[in-house]
Amino acid sequence: MIRIAVDAYGGDNAPLSVVQGAVDAVNEIKDLSVTLFGREEELNGLLADKTYDKERLFIVHAPDEITNHDHPTMAIRRKPDSSMVKALDSVKKGECDGMVTSGSTGAFLAGGIFRVGRIRGIDRPALAPVMPTAKGSPVILVDSGANADCKPEYLPQFALMGTAYMKGVMGISDPRVGLLNIGAEEEKGNELCKNAHPLLKETKGIDFVGNVEARDGLAGDVQVIVCDGFSGNVFLKATEGAAMMIMGMLKQNLLSSLKSKIGALLAKDAFKKVKNSMDSEQYGGAVLLGVNGALIKAHGSSKAKGIASAIAQAYTMVQNDVLSSIRRELEAQEIKEDTPNV
Amino acid sequence: MFEKIAALIAEQLGLDAAEIKPETRLVEDLKADSLDIVAMVMEMESQFGVEIPDDELANLKTVGDAVAYVEKLKK
Repeated sequence: MIRIAVDAYGGDNAPLSVVQGAVDAVNEIKDLSVTLFGREEELNGLLADKTYDKERLFIVHAPDEITNHDHPTMAIRRKPDSSMVKALDSVKKGECDGMVTSGSTGAFLAGGIFRVGRIRGIDRPALAPVMPTAKGSPVILVDSGANADCKPEYLPQFALMGTAYMKGVMGISDPRVGLLNIGAEEEKGNELCKNAHPLLKETKGIDFVGNVEARDGLAGDVQVIVCDGFSGNVFLKATEGAAMMIMGMLKQNLLSSLKSKIGALLAKDAFKKVKNSMDSEQYGGAVLLGVNGALIKAHGSSKAKGIASAIAQAYTMVQNDVLSSIRRELEAQEIKEDTPNV
Repeated sequence: MFEKIAALIAEQLGLDAAEIKPETRLVEDLKADSLDIVAMVMEMESQFGVEIPDDELANLKTVGDAVAYVEKLKK
């Protein structure tokens, strides 16, 4: 049985959508147990009319809640009875294998790093969302904002973690790794990119294919993009913004005349497919790579489907033992580094 | 108190508690980085029911410094 802790509070649609997502996940996956952390009375009330296996869905009372107005590190330190902290602590104590929240990203990062703790050998954990690409295969972006400034040596660790995740969770046998940069040539970029490039080339256990420009990031030629959190966040938000703008313009123009409305009706299935392939709810959430647990941050606006996907994502990560893969890869690097050249 | 804090630090850094002495330096001897130190402080706060302000972190250079500070707060 794989045990996932779920923070019932924090997101825009919490706790209603979180409870429904947890019920859907438990009904969908037979060897999954979910523990909801939050105000017991309210959660019991929301579960009252739902059908689910009561042996696999539990509630742990957590009277307090962390909001987006709380200072992340302070909230983690000063709100021990909050749903997020209690859920994180259950992973630390080994009572749960993974955790899902749609609450404050900052508090989630601080809690993951400081309460659950880092995998030994990882300097900085990274927040990594999975995004769709033009070729249909997904790509993971490591880091999308946990570390605004990075040292070059963090990037090979990001590459190893992203590779292990894409193999273990997305079933991609040989993920290709690209370094987000402003040009394809090796000598291009800022100091970080120029210094990280040779380190990535030397890293064993990854398929590093060189630099990738932002416009090619979602082309589908690489399955892991590594970068500092600042650049990753700009890439992520610019992509989201561009997609929203194009969808908005399309909608506006398609509804502008009778002729275009008829055209839109005929092309409805194609539009639906595009919309589904870009639906963040089906990708679950961003994974915090580099900590001792399968920790997933679902989007703040997640509905039940997004929460259920995030729970399934944590489940798959545990089932395929991604954390052990990361540890093995790190150990392999250390052995190689310690081996004298002959 | 020293034994408890040494055990907590040992667990955090994956070391043997016997290696830790009051004069052991957190950064230079134990190779703790800034995230390790915040994590240790949070664990001390949680175990001993004290609040250690962020400004104080820079003054906790050795294991003995941490023990003395927690003991002062407990009084």
